[in-house]
Amino acid sequence: MTHEYFEEEEFTGRIDRQTMWRVAKQGFRHWPLMVGFLTTISLVSVSDSYFTFLSKQLIDEGIGAGDTDAVLRILMRYGLLIIAQAILVFGFIITAGVLGDRVKYDLRQRLFNHLQTLSFSYYDKTPLGWLMSRMTSDIQRVGELVSWGFLDITWGVTNIIAALAFMAVINWQLTLIIAALIPVLIVVAIWFQKRILTEYRVVRKTNSQITGSYSESITGVRVVKSLRREEQNLSEFQGLTTTMYQSAFRAAWLSALFLPAVQMLTALGVAATVWVGGLQYQVGGMTFGGIHAFVSYVTFMMWPIQEMARVFASMQQAVASAERVFSTLDTEPEVKNKEDAVGISDLRGEIVFDHVDFYYEADKPVLSDFNLTVKEGETIALVGPTGAGKSTIVNLMCRFYEPKAGQIRISGVDYTDLTLHSIHSRIGMVLQTPHLFSGTIRENLRYGRLGASDEDVVEAAKMAGAHEFIITLDEGYETEVGEGGVMLSVGQKQLISLGRAILAQPDIFIMDEATSSVDTLTEALIQRGMDSIMTDRTSFVIAHRLSTIRRADRIIVLKDGRIDEMGSHAELIQQRGHYYNLYTKQFRDEKAVEYELDL
Amino acid sequence: MNKKVDELNESINKNRVLGLWGLMRGFRPIYGIAVLAVAVATLARTSIYYLMRFFIDDALTRENLVQILPWIALGFIGLAVAQGVFTYLSGRWAAYTAESIARRLRDYLYDHIQRLTFTYHDQTQTGELIQRVTSDVDAIRLFFSEQLIGIGRIILLFLVNFIGIMLLSPYLAWMSVLAIPPVLVVSFYFFRRVGTAFERFQEAEAVVSNRFQENVSGVRVVKAFARQKFEMDRFDGANKTLYQRGIQFALMHGTFWPITDVLLGAQMVFGFWLGAMMAIRGEITVGTYLAYAQMVTLIIWPIRNLGRLVTQMSTAAVSYSRVADIMAQTQEPLAEGDYIPKDGIRGKMRFSHVDFAYEASLKSEAVDKANTVGALAREQTETVEERLQVLHDISFEVEPGQIVALLGSTGSGKTSLANLVARFYEYEAGEITLDGVDLRRYPREYLRQHIGIVMQEPFLFSRTIRDNIAYGAGRPVTDEEVYEAAKAAAVHEVITTFPEGYNTIVGERGVTLSGGQKQRVALARTLLRNPSILILDDATSSVDTETESQIRRALNHLMENRTTFVIAHRIQSVMTADLVLVMDHGRIVQRGTHETLIKEDGIYRNVFNLQARIEDELQADLAEAVPA
Repeated sequence: MTHEYFEEEEFTGRIDRQTMWRVAKQGFRHWPLMVGFLTTISLVSVSDSYFTFLSKQLIDEGIGAGDTDAVLRILMRYGLLIIAQAILVFGFIITAGVLGDRVKYDLRQRLFNHLQTLSFSYYDKTPLGWLMSRMTSDIQRVGELVSWGFLDITWGVTNIIAALAFMAVINWQLTLIIAALIPVLIVVAIWFQKRILTEYRVVRKTNSQITGSYSESITGVRVVKSLRREEQNLSEFQGLTTTMYQSAFRAAWLSALFLPAVQMLTALGVAATVWVGGLQYQVGGMTFGGIHAFVSYVTFMMWPIQEMARVFASMQQAVASAERVFSTLDTEPEVKNKEDAVGISDLRGEIVFDHVDFYYEADKPVLSDFNLTVKEGETIALVGPTGAGKSTIVNLMCRFYEPKAGQIRISGVDYTDLTLHSIHSRIGMVLQTPHLFSGTIRENLRYGRLGASDEDVVEAAKMAGAHEFIITLDEGYETEVGEGGVMLSVGQKQLISLGRAILAQPDIFIMDEATSSVDTLTEALIQRGMDSIMTDRTSFVIAHRLSTIRRADRIIVLKDGRIDEMGSHAELIQQRGHYYNLYTKQFRDEKAVEYELDL
Repeated sequence: MNKKVDELNESINKNRVLGLWGLMRGFRPIYGIAVLAVAVATLARTSIYYLMRFFIDDALTRENLVQILPWIALGFIGLAVAQGVFTYLSGRWAAYTAESIARRLRDYLYDHIQRLTFTYHDQTQTGELIQRVTSDVDAIRLFFSEQLIGIGRIILLFLVNFIGIMLLSPYLAWMSVLAIPPVLVVSFYFFRRVGTAFERFQEAEAVVSNRFQENVSGVRVVKAFARQKFEMDRFDGANKTLYQRGIQFALMHGTFWPITDVLLGAQMVFGFWLGAMMAIRGEITVGTYLAYAQMVTLIIWPIRNLGRLVTQMSTAAVSYSRVADIMAQTQEPLAEGDYIPKDGIRGKMRFSHVDFAYEASLKSEAVDKANTVGALAREQTETVEERLQVLHDISFEVEPGQIVALLGSTGSGKTSLANLVARFYEYEAGEITLDGVDLRRYPREYLRQHIGIVMQEPFLFSRTIRDNIAYGAGRPVTDEEVYEAAKAAAVHEVITTFPEGYNTIVGERGVTLSGGQKQRVALARTLLRNPSILILDDATSSVDTETESQIRRALNHLMENRTTFVIAHRIQSVMTADLVLVMDHGRIVQRGTHETLIKEDGIYRNVFNLQARIEDELQADLAEAVPA
């Protein structure tokens, strides 16, 4: 597995137009909302500038002219504009907010649904944490970009245009001078924001290293103490906190410098206004109000520019996020239905592995030229060391993977000619580490057959041997499992997943036995449950317990992807090979547990 | 480092305000200057409006306007520069303070935590602890970098500009702050509500994450039962809730900001009206009006953020007390002790009448343990309330280089006894001596330097195998030494089969080693430290026969010439011991060597017989499987 691939990518610095377009399209799906916030925010920009213009009128036409009526009239407009703007503000907060939430909702749903179609091979090479980041922070960033990002940019652009327009109405020469200042402001602003963002990335990265370091030293504190590593660990940790300190401090002072720098640039604009405006005032080209308005426009201009710079600087990151989300959405499942795949109603009959080759990575074969014929109703026990290929055989059987070469036939039909759903829905499976979903025990059992009645559920639990312990729980079948619920033992979880498989009424049963020991009583219950499901069903068991192994019709000892030994228990004991060694060791271990030889 | 430790220890305080003040130790002057810089910047900004007033009222009407214009323009620039420079400096110094405090706190907590006792770590959840040292420390950092200075900024803006307007017209000044009380009320109310709404939003977010995580980690089950559709619907439920909570959030903001907009806007218009009327009546000049119009915005608008900052500050205070809880824990005094032998430890140990009990707060866990060993619970009913006594009256002697095997069932006290040797816990009664000197006189750090421990499930760190082996050496180690140690621990060959050899990273981010491999890496790690006393947990049940014999060889090599305590899990591994202590419910019930114990009636012989019986049964079982 190439881990580097799943590290958070560094940003290349270019914004891909196609991705950008695809991001925008997420918003277009809900175009009324988009039109809504684009209109409201533009109107807010205009009214922002109009306020300043009203102030100018108030000064010139009201105060300057000594006209009380005009004062009242202008302030009335001012008041009305405040109310209008309040409504507009409400409008854009709601439309942009809803759009953002909506886009995030859509993406989460599409991503989740798409992931349901992807194959095991995808999950094998993709860490959960990586997928988690796509689902949370990446989608968050895309949603923010489509809503607040676009909103900020629109606000910035319309604000500057509106301000320039009003300024031009007052005095166009001065407006030209100010306009010349804007590109400089933008360049400076973007430069700053990029630097700041770079530092923040280091901060975030260091932060997760710090968390990791804490976590390791706390979980390993006993080793740290016994190895007397305290000082050295601290000095390593101080290396991290120093990096953190340096980047965080740099980011902070750059941010602190940013506003003053932009402010000082706008002060040049103010100075120009005063100077040029002052000169023109003398010749009657400028009024008190005009000068006041210009100063206000120029000082205010730094805010839209700051916002735009912030959005542009973070856009790279958002687009990178979008790329990752889209690439996940674009991933094709490796195992999928052929176009002419047919559904079948049952998976009965003989199963044949015919010259099957399989590997996860091309240069590391797991199975090569594997042949096996399983009669209907037969129970096959797979034994052998870790990595011998036991799970692979089971996964191929379930068609979680498909053979790289050769065929697997069920009743003489190549199973790739069948639909995935018809195979999966006829298989019952119990995993080594039983996975239960949060919810009640009843819900977990019913996972095997969603339409099952309460009676069926209880019946299946009884057959699995789970009923006895379930009814001893305070809330019986309604007991919540998992977080916030009772802690079930591994054995109990296994009983429930056994019940779940029984309820599914599968044609093929697959079980990966738990290695960890369960108490004798549970053990006996599990055996009984397995018996009841394996009768008359073709079963594959990755077996660890002697009782299971002994009961199998056929034992297959795997080694390095090949069948090393095969036969009944008696035959294999006689061979005195690997099976014999495995068996005697397991016998001693199990007996030790049985006699409570607990040392 | 120790100086830092002392500094922060003094700063712990039950009172959160005093506690946060204590954290600022050493940075108070600079933080004070930062606040002062805010004041200067604010003054400069307000001065600009005064300059504007002068420009409009005075300069524009003067004959020599052309001559003084450049000076006025320069004045604007000068004030802007002053404002800019001081704004920058205040930000920089506040950041310096906040980041320095955070860094010192992180270093301190890291060191503090690794110096807390086993007892503390036994009782504390890792996740909870990590949460505190990361998120809570960050909340404290934000308190200094944003909240405190932010509130200072708002108050100064208000004060300076309010006084600025007072100087122009006290009447106008008072008339301009009428809307502030209601806005403050709305603001506090709103941000408290937002806090709750945000928590609800995060809850919904957590549900979505959990569903997702559950789905991905249970993908085998989902696929095996072909339940994709069902999962999609289930996820959609959580997803929808999150969406709705998001919209609620937007609605709250959508109400708050316009409402305050209208309130503050009305205040503005009212002020403008009063000002304009006064100007028309000639009570104030046009320039004064203009200066007023600018200043009033600085009084009014920032006020609505006060609610946010105050709400955030209260969370910072909570964070402080959570961190202070950790800081208040007592460290293990590693250097305490007055005896360091001149020529090292020889390894003669003597336990006499040692009693040991876990502390009270371990109760619940201890009771669980007691239940599993039923008899103990009954025996201890009167003391279990307070503490769980796990060792009773332990006495024995070991000569240098001897092997002591501890045999007994889970919970019999084997591990507790071994833990006392390295003084990971304090025994309360009796005496332990090492080379004739009371163990308590040895500094813990010295003692641990000379004790090597290999546990049943060794903990490896997520770094390279090489680093893991060299981890505890406490000195620079050459590659050859590492290879030697690995060879002696019978793990060298395995390591060389990895593509990256000794540079293979262990753990989550790298290769997962098997239990046996981990144990041998831990053995190599211990070998490199060349300890005088060894404590070994010899559980090898998870490895195959061949690996087992390799480990055994490595162990034998390690035990040569060292006093060794073996926590034994099988009779085979105690056969070579010089002294076997059979433990039951915290007491030594039998002692001797294999030869003597086998002749005695007791647990040892029972265990031995049981193992023999299992062998017999195995033979019988095998015979049964193969019909004659």
